Amino acid sequence: MSAKHYTFRIQRNRKGPDGRIASRWVDYPVSATETTTILTLLEEIKGDQDGSLTFRQSCRSAICGSCAMKIGGRTRLACKTHVGSVANADGVVVVAPQANQPVLKDLAIDIGPFFERIHKIQPHLEDGPDTDAVLEQSAYDQVNHVTQCIMCGSCYSDCVMAEVTPEFIGPAALAKAFRFVSDPREGQKRRRLEQLSHPHMMWSCARCAMCVESCPKDVKPMEAIVKLRTRGLAKGLDAGPGPKHALAFHQDIQQTGNLNEFTLMMRTVGILGTLEELGTAFHLMKKWKIPSPLPHKSAGLAELAKIYEILEEHPLDVETKAKEVVPE
Amino acid sequence: MQSHDLIIVGAGLAGMRAALEGVKAGIDVAIVTKIHPLRSHSCAAQGGINAAINPQDSRDSHAFDTVKGADYIGDEDAIELMCHEAPEAILEMDRMGTPFSRIEGGLIAQRAFGGASFNRTCYAADRTGQVLLHTLWEQLVKAQVKVYEECSVMRLVTDREQAIAGVVAYDIKTGAVFALRAKAVLMATGGYGRVFLSNTNATTNTGDGMALALRAGAPLADMEFVQFHPTGLRTSGVLVTEGARGEGGYLINALGERFMSRYAPNKLELASRDVVSRAEQTEIIEGRGINGAVFLDLRHLGADKILERLPQIRQLSLDLEGVDAIHAPIPIRPTAHYSMGGIRTDKYGASPLHGLFAAGEAACVSVHGANRLGGNSLLDTIVFGRITGSHCARFVKGEKLRDFAASEVAAVKGNLDTLKSRPDQGVRPIALHHRMAAAMNLHCGVFRTVEGMREGVSELPGLREDYQKIHLDDHADDFNIDLLRAVELGHLIDLAECIVRGALAREESRGAHSRIDFPERDDAVWRKHTLSHWDGAKGEVILSHEPVRTLGRAEYAPKVRTY
Repeated sequence: MSAKHYTFRIQRNRKGPDGRIASRWVDYPVSATETTTILTLLEEIKGDQDGSLTFRQSCRSAICGSCAMKIGGRTRLACKTHVGSVANADGVVVVAPQANQPVLKDLAIDIGPFFERIHKIQPHLEDGPDTDAVLEQSAYDQVNHVTQCIMCGSCYSDCVMAEVTPEFIGPAALAKAFRFVSDPREGQKRRRLEQLSHPHMMWSCARCAMCVESCPKDVKPMEAIVKLRTRGLAKGLDAGPGPKHALAFHQDIQQTGNLNEFTLMMRTVGILGTLEELGTAFHLMKKWKIPSPLPHKSAGLAELAKIYEILEEHPLDVETKAKEVVPE
Repeated sequence: MQSHDLIIVGAGLAGMRAALEGVKAGIDVAIVTKIHPLRSHSCAAQGGINAAINPQDSRDSHAFDTVKGADYIGDEDAIELMCHEAPEAILEMDRMGTPFSRIEGGLIAQRAFGGASFNRTCYAADRTGQVLLHTLWEQLVKAQVKVYEECSVMRLVTDREQAIAGVVAYDIKTGAVFALRAKAVLMATGGYGRVFLSNTNATTNTGDGMALALRAGAPLADMEFVQFHPTGLRTSGVLVTEGARGEGGYLINALGERFMSRYAPNKLELASRDVVSRAEQTEIIEGRGINGAVFLDLRHLGADKILERLPQIRQLSLDLEGVDAIHAPIPIRPTAHYSMGGIRTDKYGASPLHGLFAAGEAACVSVHGANRLGGNSLLDTIVFGRITGSHCARFVKGEKLRDFAASEVAAVKGNLDTLKSRPDQGVRPIALHHRMAAAMNLHCGVFRTVEGMREGVSELPGLREDYQKIHLDDHADDFNIDLLRAVELGHLIDLAECIVRGALAREESRGAHSRIDFPERDDAVWRKHTLSHWDGAKGEVILSHEPVRTLGRAEYAPKVRTY
């Protein structure tokens, strides 16, 4: 494969004397084959063009999680991203630090706040077995995808909810929480689910699937979040707007095949909450975006009933198949 | 001045396992690590961890395989200790929450690995190191161990009686240089793969702990024994697990022949790593490779098995080599992987320097001798992390804090300032590193010649001279990776000298040390450890030797090693 010319457009960040970060964009020309990794080329730039270019990296093999950064507008591991797959038509590769986190220097961010969120979910087996666990072969089928997480922060960097709500615990922490909630050896599943039902935890995810898209290890955090919610509801943890919204949604669809958005609000946040949103409602009304308050049934309701029947017979796979080692 | 009972340098498996032991014993323990614990290179171990947990297997058999694999230069007391502690160490990790793969019936699954007479390698798919590392980190968080994150140790400090007084650390995030006093220091800093140009290691594997110990007066042992892993990817050197062969993968040459039948007719691809690497290198030298590589062929395993047992290495081959292992053989070659040598310790991890301990790859206990068996390095970290951690806890209870001269901090600051302010004399650190690492690959690789090694030794003064001329582009205090790498390069040069001098002196072939001019093992003269010492007056490494710790068992008597 022959070499091509690329331009690395790198966001250089420096802390000024006032402690604020000053950013500028600097172009670096490189020559490489399409399958050369971004990390290899960043190293080349650091080695041959500017030794002060700063970024984290370590294993070179997508397992240590050091080198996640914004490449071509998305957060990716530099060590497994081919330059040819992220360059634009002019051969420009835009590289910047992860988003939603404080920048330290150039492409290096402060990883502290990310890990504080992980610590919040008590990231360790609680009250596990004292004796050796004999587990079924399928014991970890449920947690396999989440144990692949390397804590690189890609999902958090690309999370749209974290962008608007910094208090949101984020996809990685929730995926980690699911790892324990779904482990047959875990002894504190209910307490975990109670904690996860608090504001800014599992019910704050907007289910946009960006985390699933950006994860370099196929962890599928959103899938874990959905399973956590289902398990929370199954344990009767249905207080708060998140579960109420989900249940109201479910009720509408099952009964009429349609969402009654007019009453959905009331059922999610109550009368007071709805009053608070009257301003927004008024704006929507002006634009003719308020749906009819009168319920109307969809045409194919019988077919929908069949779908529900099948789902009830074959529920979404959220429980580990293995026998619990530590009964609750 | 901040102080702790025990400072552990490095937060990989050995360091974290030791820290938990310290907490359990009620001592004040802190970890200093230049990268976040989860970034430690233990996570890159793929294939598994050995333990005789199957009733049909035995700890004695594991010990025998290890003594033989080590080519009779491992210390037998330490090997027996490791193999006997192995099952409990694994089951303990299981209780902490490691999701080991299971077999039907619920027990931990085990696979075949090289040089083993039983399928005793426990695993979690092909990411065993990662799940072990995450499990220990979880426990570290639970135990609330103090971690100085992204802080690099720049100097080991001793008092007038040559006993450990603490360390001088450098906070990478801020550039602050600070003292940490301690009654004991445990080095768990891993290996030095970056000494070699082609290696499976992380770029952060620069053998800092070994180099710091050497300069502080502790001997390093058996540095000439460098393991070349048989399956590093051709282009990047990144590791492909031995588990790929354990699951039935073939090694083939350019002609499509399973060439191992010529070198190890019984064990074939699952001979020990030194044997397989030499076979591959011979194939390549004799023209039966392609572009300096032979091939790992997994196609006959089928897509299902590859995706279930080896999903990560299939992805790595795709990402880094552009090859889908389901449909094509993976180009691989022998690649520098692991250091059998390290800081000399007894079986409890204590070095001859009072108050200095070591565990994991940074240590030479020595359980791996001249050649480590696959699956024994993860085991080494867990077992000796535990043993050394608890031994340190006992040690510090009888110790007081030693005098720590304030001038030590000033000296480190001075060195760093000198590096930062040096004018441009045209020597870039990366070019110097490349020169050294290329020379080591050339002169101290799979096969070694006397001319090559002499050439290697003769290049050392020039390397040291040019090291004094390197200049940095980054003059900032905060997050100065340019500076950190320059310091690490100094460590690598020291270690390269230990390796090449040790190799030149050892006039025999044993384990991973293979000389063209001395092709046989010479037990009469060379069944002994090489010790490297730093001679401050001469400014170079000098050698001495000491006997292997043997137990006199008949089954451990040296024999011709065939597989």
